[in-house]
Amino acid sequence: MFPELNSILNSTPDSFKSSDFILASDRRADASFLIHHYLSFYLRAGCKVCFLGLVQSFSHYSAVGQRLGVSLAQAREKGQLVFLEGLKDSFGVLLQDTSQQETQPLSFLRSPGAGLEGLFRFVERSVRQSGDGDAGESWGPPVLLIDDLSVLLSLGVSVGAILDFTLYCQATVCSELQGNMVILVRCEEEDADDDEEGSNLLQRGLVHQCNLALHIEGLPTGYCRDIHGQMEVWWRPRGETIYNQRKIFHFKVHDKGASFFARGTSSAVL
Amino acid sequence: MLLDVTQTGGGFILVEDTVQCSGRGLLRCFINAALKRGEDVHVLGFESPEAEVCAGLDSSCVHRLHFHKGFPDPLGWTRRSSFTVERFTSQHITQLFKDTQRAKASVLVVDSLSMVLRHHDPVVFSQTLQELRKGGVIKTIIGLLHSDLHQQGIVGIVCHLASTVISVAPADNERNSVAKTTRRTKSGKVMQEEEYFSVSEDATLSVQAKPRQPGRGQKEPDVCETDPTSNLTFNLRLSEDERRAKEKVALPFVFSQQKKSALLRPAPGSGRIVYEPDASDDFDEEDPDDDLDV
Repeated sequence: MFPELNSILNSTPDSFKSSDFILASDRRADASFLIHHYLSFYLRAGCKVCFLGLVQSFSHYSAVGQRLGVSLAQAREKGQLVFLEGLKDSFGVLLQDTSQQETQPLSFLRSPGAGLEGLFRFVERSVRQSGDGDAGESWGPPVLLIDDLSVLLSLGVSVGAILDFTLYCQATVCSELQGNMVILVRCEEEDADDDEEGSNLLQRGLVHQCNLALHIEGLPTGYCRDIHGQMEVWWRPRGETIYNQRKIFHFKVHDKGASFFARGTSSAVL
Repeated sequence: MLLDVTQTGGGFILVEDTVQCSGRGLLRCFINAALKRGEDVHVLGFESPEAEVCAGLDSSCVHRLHFHKGFPDPLGWTRRSSFTVERFTSQHITQLFKDTQRAKASVLVVDSLSMVLRHHDPVVFSQTLQELRKGGVIKTIIGLLHSDLHQQGIVGIVCHLASTVISVAPADNERNSVAKTTRRTKSGKVMQEEEYFSVSEDATLSVQAKPRQPGRGQKEPDVCETDPTSNLTFNLRLSEDERRAKEKVALPFVFSQQKKSALLRPAPGSGRIVYEPDASDDFDEEDPDDDLDV
């Protein structure tokens, strides 16, 4: 959890806006530090977290979480965290018998054209468990985190199917259960945009749905040791017609956090 | 023109938006205006909850609003919706209207057509729209389209079907947006206008005319005030004497009789051209200077 980012977004683990869909996207840079931020943020806030880790192993997230001061293994044992390890579970789906694939969250690996209904059912099951409280603990509003959605494109799922999936997740997690959702997508280079089924199209579709878009990009002037890139924060409150509340910050990712500063105020410049 | 379109309705009105600017506010204005006219409004909401679409509408008219919930479950995965995308056919929609027909005219609002286009072939979709327009049950169809989520060609097809296309975009200033309205009348005349608009909390629309070209309007009065001929270093007009003097001057290119004789008289000691043709020479009999008046 990065306190500087919290102060930019005006939220703390004790008080944050509910029913938000936060979209993190990157282009020529790495925005996964935002996923780590939000994972530790919501675990600290006591939310029930459903994490779809499609690109890294559990131990990776666990190691980063350790540095940021949260224990993923403990949270998983307590039932606070539901973790779908895409890398590991995909083997099971690909090697199993064809007869019982319908209920699997990753069944789209076998038939990408059929849509992501299985994955949504998994999310729905996980986020609805929060009220049960069988272990005597009750968690806060549910949170869905996805790292990252654009890999589904390379697995053969269409942009439309992914947008349907996120719309369902939004309807269940944000609208119905008053929880939050954080999704990461990676975009291609701007000029590769003619591809109609590309990640840029997916990003635009998700921006239409989200309430807050955080876009990470490398510096347009190239690599710099003291500034790792820029982050555009774009507030898109529901029910508004124009979304012109945008701000750009420069950032530097450290070992245990990240610092954000207004453009031109990095320590390398001043 | 935008205000005019919202007040009268009729035909197929397409509201086009992008990630920069949402067209949903304008959609609410259309719903509000139709309700105030005393028309039945059927909303097919696939992308946003009922509360968001109907926020701020006049409570006295809400009984004429029929919201067909597609939002929590547009594809029928959890069986919680009354209307799925699959049922976007002219028969199903006409049935919906017949079931609840009370007022004299009805309006169909689709939020959004992008969702429908994702699950229907564009050709089938166009046919459905055309059937709905010709069916006689529905007076106005209003659709929201996220134009940056579709191929240019498909957006073009939908725009051709529409009688009015409204594209919204952010304006330079903070509070307004720009709407570019293109309206085709029955006679085939196309009218186009750009206006600033803003939507208030209670879904009423305020429209401001857009200044034609910022900058040009201010320049015009300047032109009238200053006379460019006032401070010249030379004279633009001639007095009578000057004119006579000017007419006397022979221009250097006028070929007078004196000049002609002076040029043609062979001066002593001047050069001469002697030419002896070869046998192989292609001698031209014609005088090369025949056409000159010398």
